Amino acid sequence: MTATTPAPAVAPTRPRPNWVAVAVRRGAAVWVIVAALVLVLSVLRGGSFWSTGNLAALLTSAVVLGLVSLGQHTVILSGGIDLSVGAMVTITTLLTAVLIDGYPIRTAPVLIGMLVLGALIGALNGVLITLLGMPPFIVTLGMLYLVNGAALWISSTPAGRVTSILSEFAFGRIGPIPYTFLVLVLAVVAMWFLLNRTVWGKQVFAVGGDLHSARAAGIDTTRVLLGVYIASGLLAAIAGILLASRSSVGSPTAGAGLELSAITVVVIGGTSLLGGRGTLLGTMGGVALLSLITNSITLLQFPSTITDLIRGIIIIAAVAIFVAKRR
Amino acid sequence: MVPAIALGAREVTKSFPGVRALAGVTFAVAPGRVHALLGENGAGKSTLIKILTGDQTPDSGTVVVADEEVSFGSPRDALARGVTPVYQELTVLPEMTVLDNVMMGHESARRGVLRLREQREHARRALERVDLGGLDLGTIAGDLSLANQQLIEIARALVRRSNVLILDEPSAVLSGDKLEALHSVVRSIAAEGTAVVYITHLLDEVRLLADDVTVLRDGTLVSTGPAVDYPMERIVREMVGRQVDSVFPDPAPPRDEVVLTVSDLVPRGAEVAPVSLELRAGEIVGLAGLVGSGRSRLLKTLAGVRGRGEGTVAVEGRPLRPSLGATIDAGVVLVPEERKRDGLVLDLPVSQNCTLTALRSISTAGWVDGGREKAAFAEERERLGIRAAGGDQLARQLSGGNQQKIVIAKWLRVSPRVLLLDEPTRGVDVGAKSEIYRIITELAANGMAILLASSELPEVIGLSHRVLVFKDGAVVGDIPRNPDAAEQIMHLALGTES
Repeated sequence: MTATTPAPAVAPTRPRPNWVAVAVRRGAAVWVIVAALVLVLSVLRGGSFWSTGNLAALLTSAVVLGLVSLGQHTVILSGGIDLSVGAMVTITTLLTAVLIDGYPIRTAPVLIGMLVLGALIGALNGVLITLLGMPPFIVTLGMLYLVNGAALWISSTPAGRVTSILSEFAFGRIGPIPYTFLVLVLAVVAMWFLLNRTVWGKQVFAVGGDLHSARAAGIDTTRVLLGVYIASGLLAAIAGILLASRSSVGSPTAGAGLELSAITVVVIGGTSLLGGRGTLLGTMGGVALLSLITNSITLLQFPSTITDLIRGIIIIAAVAIFVAKRR
Repeated sequence: MVPAIALGAREVTKSFPGVRALAGVTFAVAPGRVHALLGENGAGKSTLIKILTGDQTPDSGTVVVADEEVSFGSPRDALARGVTPVYQELTVLPEMTVLDNVMMGHESARRGVLRLREQREHARRALERVDLGGLDLGTIAGDLSLANQQLIEIARALVRRSNVLILDEPSAVLSGDKLEALHSVVRSIAAEGTAVVYITHLLDEVRLLADDVTVLRDGTLVSTGPAVDYPMERIVREMVGRQVDSVFPDPAPPRDEVVLTVSDLVPRGAEVAPVSLELRAGEIVGLAGLVGSGRSRLLKTLAGVRGRGEGTVAVEGRPLRPSLGATIDAGVVLVPEERKRDGLVLDLPVSQNCTLTALRSISTAGWVDGGREKAAFAEERERLGIRAAGGDQLARQLSGGNQQKIVIAKWLRVSPRVLLLDEPTRGVDVGAKSEIYRIITELAANGMAILLASSELPEVIGLSHRVLVFKDGAVVGDIPRNPDAAEQIMHLALGTES
């Protein structure tokens, strides 16, 4: 029988994609808008924008949204959606404050407890979706109401108190960089590693790309999806702990609306809602953009009521550009 | 120890609603042999493969791996036993890189962390075996040609150390160098002791590659044996069978008046020879050819579903604009191949499905008249013999045959002059088949012109006044009605003119 013949160079015939398409695919496109906005703010309000205080505030405001979006990003990559992230932030914020209630000795156990709680809620989402075959949209929508309801049942008004060590951490910073932002950076690096350098990460892309193909390639899709929803719950719990630390009390509406913000940033970061395609660079660009919009409205002294209006325009405009320029 | 049977099936039976896909099929592949699995479309090859690879479970019978009876719950189980399939439908993920696609499901890692260098080495080695050694591993798979994607799919299977490799029509999108790369890799893995199941429509490949041959027809085993005992004629004869019998009513002679004139038609985006044909009132013309030979594409173009590249179409001498609306108005309608996707709204009642094409005829000033809707359905039910519990029953709940009758009824509501039928009896049981044959013959007898594309040769031969044979998008034969034309048509379609 013949051995393999020496391989002649294969010239893949493909049209050179234009640079916009490449930028969208790599997630860099949204950073162009971020850079433009930074430029505008530097020109109009250079002094106040670049002040240490404002930068710190800007970075702080990105932390909770960033953590939650990291989870949402992973879920959407896998072809699902997680509407319960805001509710998970709410309940972990509230419980952190209520359970610690000012006693330093409780800090560590409660924090661990919150991480476990987040992972458990995520696991429950994952089990319902994979083993019972329920659609992620419905499962996590139900979980949103269920967890929010539980939070309101625990306390309908802000309650509890965190310890000083937590608030000190929440307000501490190195120059303009808050400690909490470093938590986000750490989480991004960890998630990047998981998604791009581990078997699980590759399988998340495969499952999101085509569930049936992934199964046919021998991938244990149930295990992969369980991991995805647990990661989302865990990240929401970390966000909840940081939110409680910053506000020192726990509010039963702390995470309201975060799920939609998280989906927003993932989408404007160029990730496909159908799954299988997306970059962390893009999603973090989305986080930067959304935080910048809020910040610029303050700096430019626009009424804060127009935030949502601008947000709506940005989402539709960004996605319109991406859709038009992809292939 | 080398097992006698690397992979096999014992008395495997599998039924789907209304169709028996496999009836007691026994099959065995020996290690180090290339085993060609042959049969017409619908003969049961794909179902057999899905059962052998754990994608579907048999109703009865067992799968054998390395001389042991096994039962697979999922493709994972089969892969774990060294049975690796390359399915006909591509499972390359277009958004992922070549590297990730090749290594998908079989990543090299330590404690879950990828070993990048090893990944690249393994992928590179597998790609070299399919003659894609020069391909950049970072290329996005969706940017590659279909042929290269198919080779990547095969490279993915090579990464695993398999005892059995199943290739379901791997050559369908390959030609020239690519095809030779495939053949050389198949030969070399067989030489290494791997059993290869090879499904193909290119009978030349059987001569070039196969050690053994198995022929299936209508879900049953026809014969199996060493490839040397299978000259081309025998394969064709066994694939086709001799079963053109009395199920088919004799068609009434066509009239003289030409209804449809097609001149030098080329479907948009297709690089094929132009097609010209004339269709007379009351005439049934069959379109035969392999899957991918361009029959469906031609029908879709005629129906205005797909754009025209070149050429003209005229109905009763009047030129037809290439749009769906204009085509329907001119009385040219298509009963599509994908009934459930393109033919029915599965969750609407049958009466509403039936009147969907002619809502104006049952409504006044935009208001649908329930009574007229019922009357319209009752009329079609009578005419076509639709068996439904009532007009309110959902289309989803009907059998394949009755669903197909609803689709035909839907188009009869617009009183068409030309009826285009694409695989009209796919997924339809035997009883309903002969009823659909009767309907087709009656419609023609009443003056309707009919173009009928089907993968089932007996059907095309039995119903048509003449048969056009397609190969690579072009008409390669125009054969008048002849019950014994099956082998002649098959040779034309395969390009193996004897």
